[in-house]
Amino acid sequence: MLAIEQGAQGVVVVKGRLDAAQCPAAQSFLDKAQGTVSLDCSGLEYISSAGLGVLLKTQKRLLAAGGKLRLTGVNRHLQDIFQYSGFDQILEIEPAR
Amino acid sequence: MSESRLFRRTFDALPEIFGFTETFFARQGVDREILITVDFVVEELFTNMVKYGAAADPGSEVRIEIEAVEGGVEVLLADSGVEPFDVTGVPDADTGAPIEERRPGGLGLHLIRRLVDSWDYEYVVERRESRIRFKKTLAGKAAQDGP
Repeated sequence: MLAIEQGAQGVVVVKGRLDAAQCPAAQSFLDKAQGTVSLDCSGLEYISSAGLGVLLKTQKRLLAAGGKLRLTGVNRHLQDIFQYSGFDQILEIEPAR
Repeated sequence: MSESRLFRRTFDALPEIFGFTETFFARQGVDREILITVDFVVEELFTNMVKYGAAADPGSEVRIEIEAVEGGVEVLLADSGVEPFDVTGVPDADTGAPIEERRPGGLGLHLIRRLVDSWDYEYVVERRESRIRFKKTLAGKAAQDGP
């Protein structure tokens, strides 16, 4: 399952698994985000290529409006997927400590 | 030891599929370090079957079979009533393209190729069945770089 919600200080907190079944809910939430959006991924365990599509669509929309998407707390699985897909070149990513 | 189950051809089946893999790993004592990669590959292959199996026989389901092997698992996804399509032959995505040229989609098979030890495709004409099998082990080459 996936949970995505507004956290403190404008941070968007995402937890769980961003698989193909959860993408519509995530996309619907992120479509409302504006400006520079910090996405706390410390509770995000898993992402599939469908989830990458959600991030790509959001990043393109935010960049076009002068904002951007910034991911923090990114675990090893996510880092590998971002690296192999080249998303580490189009997203600002801060690994988990 | 292997286990096999049929799943409805819908994205909504994903939680059941992840439950199936997790239970198998626990029951067979397979190292959970590779579970997330196995789930990833199964999701990519299964959702491809959902998306491109629209012309499949009505009511047909996708069969997923997992077998414990030394250091990991072999997984088979079998999709009956479909036309042949060898996913292992699909070219890599252009992951160096600037964001303006990026489009959602096309990354799943590219990523699978980097995450599994091996994969192969077979088409059984008599059953009009696509069979995709992959192997993932801790000692596999992808495990040195992958999750």
